[in-house]
Amino acid sequence: MNLHIRIEAGRNALSALGRQPISTAMTVLALAIVIALPVGLFTVLTNMENLLGNWRNQAQISLFLHKDASPQAIQHLQKALAQTKGVVEVRYVSADAALAEFQKHSGMVAAIQTLGENPLPASFVVQLDPLRYPPSALQQLIGHWAQDPAVATAQSDLHWVARLQAILALGQRAALILAVLLALGAVLVMGNTIRLHIAQRRDEIDVASLVGATRSFIRRPFLYQGLLQGAVAGLVAWGIVVAAFYWLQVPVDRLAALYGTQFNLVALTPEQGATLVIASALLGWLGSLLAVGRHLDHTFA
Amino acid sequence: MIRLINVTKHYPGRHHVLREVNLHLRKGEMALLTGPSGAGKSTLLKMLLRLEGVSNGTLMVNGVDLSTLKRRHIPAYRRRIGVVFQDHKLLMDRDLFSNVALTLQVAGLPDRQVQSRVRAALDKVGLGDRLREYPATLSGGEQQRVGIARAIVHTPEILLADEPTGNLDPRLSNEILDLFRDFHHHGTTVLIATHDQGQIDRLGLPVLRLEGGRLHAPEDHQ
Repeated sequence: MNLHIRIEAGRNALSALGRQPISTAMTVLALAIVIALPVGLFTVLTNMENLLGNWRNQAQISLFLHKDASPQAIQHLQKALAQTKGVVEVRYVSADAALAEFQKHSGMVAAIQTLGENPLPASFVVQLDPLRYPPSALQQLIGHWAQDPAVATAQSDLHWVARLQAILALGQRAALILAVLLALGAVLVMGNTIRLHIAQRRDEIDVASLVGATRSFIRRPFLYQGLLQGAVAGLVAWGIVVAAFYWLQVPVDRLAALYGTQFNLVALTPEQGATLVIASALLGWLGSLLAVGRHLDHTFA
Repeated sequence: MIRLINVTKHYPGRHHVLREVNLHLRKGEMALLTGPSGAGKSTLLKMLLRLEGVSNGTLMVNGVDLSTLKRRHIPAYRRRIGVVFQDHKLLMDRDLFSNVALTLQVAGLPDRQVQSRVRAALDKVGLGDRLREYPATLSGGEQQRVGIARAIVHTPEILLADEPTGNLDPRLSNEILDLFRDFHHHGTTVLIATHDQGQIDRLGLPVLRLEGGRLHAPEDHQ
C-alpha cells in the first residue's frame, strides 16, 4: 500500500475533525469520561490492594493469657511456640506493657485509672512465615494453641484483612463488568459519531465510489478519525484519573494520619497510561470500522 | 468494446426497464443514446458502470462480463471508465483541483503525477487557470467542464455521459459536445445519453434509440 495514500487519508481525517472542533471536542470528552470511570475504579481498587499488601503478607497470631496463668505455664508456652516450625518471632507483651501501649494510643488515661486495676491480659504476639501458613493452616494453628491451659483466647489479626480482600475481589469483578459495558458504550458513541460524519460526506463517498475508489480507500479516513479521537480520549481519561487522584490525596493523607501512618495514592504508571491510550484508540477504531462497514455494505451492494 | 446480448433489466414487482437489448459499440466509436424520459437510458448507463446488475443476458465491456464481475473487482473496472453526469456531482467544499484529483487519488497515483495530470485535464477544458476556485463560483457550463475533466483525467478507455448538456443553453451544449468529440478523435469510446434533438441532428453520430425498453440501433450496432 502506498504510503502517500495513507498520509493523504490521515490529512483528510485531521481536516474533517478540525472542521468541527466543538463536535470533535465533545465526542472526545464523552469518550474520555466513559473510559475514565472504570479505569478510575480499577485504580482505586489497586491502591486498596497495595494498602492491604503489607498486612496480607504477614501471618500474625495473638494469644491472650489467663490472668492467673503461672509463670511456669507461660514459660512452657513460650518455649513451645519458639520451637514450632514456621514461627519467625515470639514477643511477650506483659499486662503492664499492654496497658502502657493502650494508654499511649487511646489517650483514655483517666477512664482506665477509675477502674483501679489493669483490665488487660498479658499476651504472646506470634509472627509466622506467611508462605508456610496460608489462611486455612493458620486457623488450625489457632485452634491448637487455644487449647493450651495458659491461653484464654487465641485470635488471628488478619480476619478483617481477608474480609476486605474478598470485598476487593468483588469490587474488581464489578469494575470489570462495568469496564466491558462502558467499552461497548464507547464503541457505540464512536460509531454514532462516525455515522454522522459519513452522512455529511455522503456525496464525497458516492463520487469516490463512482470513480473507482475501493472500500479501503473510502474507509481509511474514517478509521483514522476513530483512531485519533480514541487516542486523544485515552489521554484525556488518563489526565482525569491523575487529576482525581491528586485531588483525593489530601483527604487520604488526613485519614492515614489518624491511623498514625501515611499512604501515597498511585494513579497510573506510564505503562498503564500507554495501555489505556492504545486500548482507547482501538475502541475508537472499532466503532468506526463497524459504522463505515455498514454504510459501505450498502454503497457497494 | 461494449457488447449487450439479449440484456433484460427488471425490478421486482415492476415492469421491464430493458427488454432483450442487443448492442455492439466498437473501440473508438462514438454514439448517442436517446429516447423519451423513463425509456431506460440512465439504467443502461448505470449497468455499464456496474451500479446496477443485469437481470438476464450478457453485458461485456472490453472483454469483461459484468454479470459475473466480483464485487471486489468493481473499483478497478470503474477506473477504466470516465463518467459525466447531468448534475455534475462536484464536491462543493473542494476546489477544482481536488475535485479532478479525486479520480487519480483513488487509483493511488503519486502526488507529482496527480499535479501534472490534473493541470493538463483542466487546461483541456479551458479551466487551467482556475485550479483553486470552488465549484460554486463557476457557471453551469464551467461546472460541467470540471465534471468532464474529472472523467477524462485518467485517460479512460470509455467515456459515458448521462444528459451532459441537460441544464445548458445551446451554445454551451455545443461547446461541451465538441469536447466529447475531441476525446473521441483521440481514440476514446464515447456513449452519450441525450434527448436533445437539436444536438442529435447537428452531430450526425450513430443514434441508439430506446423506447419501451427496446433498443432500436443501426444494423451494424446490433
